[in-house]
Amino acid sequence: MSKHLKIALVDDDIPNTEVLRDFLIRNGYSHVDKYHDGESFLDTLDRFDERALVLDFDLSGGGDLNGLEVLEAVKERSPQTHVIFFSGQDSLEVAVESLKNGADDYIVKSNAAFALVKTSLDKVYDLQVLKTSERRNARISWALALGWMITLVGVALFVAN
Amino acid sequence: MEIIDRLSAGDPEKKKYYLRLFLDTMEPELGNLRGLNVSESQEPIRAILHKLKSQVQTIGAADAHALMSAQEQVIKNGGQISQSELDDTCHQLSQLIQNLQDLLK
Repeated sequence: MSKHLKIALVDDDIPNTEVLRDFLIRNGYSHVDKYHDGESFLDTLDRFDERALVLDFDLSGGGDLNGLEVLEAVKERSPQTHVIFFSGQDSLEVAVESLKNGADDYIVKSNAAFALVKTSLDKVYDLQVLKTSERRNARISWALALGWMITLVGVALFVAN
Repeated sequence: MEIIDRLSAGDPEKKKYYLRLFLDTMEPELGNLRGLNVSESQEPIRAILHKLKSQVQTIGAADAHALMSAQEQVIKNGGQISQSELDDTCHQLSQLIQNLQDLLK
């Protein structure tokens, strides 16, 4: 089943990004874009962005921004974007700093890391499905309430005449 | 290599495609690493080790990954690695690249 969650991978590690992209596509995520520096990703970001971002911390092989600076810019411009750090930095301080600045998850690159990224994205996807369902239910409730009001006004006018 | 085997799912051309991707990064970075001098700032060495350690892990070279992670950590903590330690890493990387090239034949 194809999961309709747009994903952006931002990592200066070209081969691993390619492998992760193929892994996610193989696991049902059909829309996965990749960027090799923070600047080119931020150029595509707007405040209605609904993508989930998988972000490397050390982007020194790409542009001038590191992962924390990209996270800061994302949270400022598009606070609803979910950010999953995917980093070779096995450091508690870096992980805590990322989570304090709004990241949803911090995954250290390891043998099991691709599966962990998928699990984390599955949670984002489930949340998105739930929000979509809640919005739809709210719209249905409003439509029903409006229908009842129109009916009542109609009945009242009929009785008055 | 498990992830690459799984993704290529028995397709030898697909597997070669992934291996070439890794070789295209690892070969020039090994050249860069060999050109660096341990008596100067070791930050460029750390940056290359950081970049390559994830890649060697993905292709299943656990020993090389452990060695590069340990050396990266030493430099990050303000220490220095010796020329012979750097040579050891370059030797392991060189062997790894040779193995990947053999797989491509």
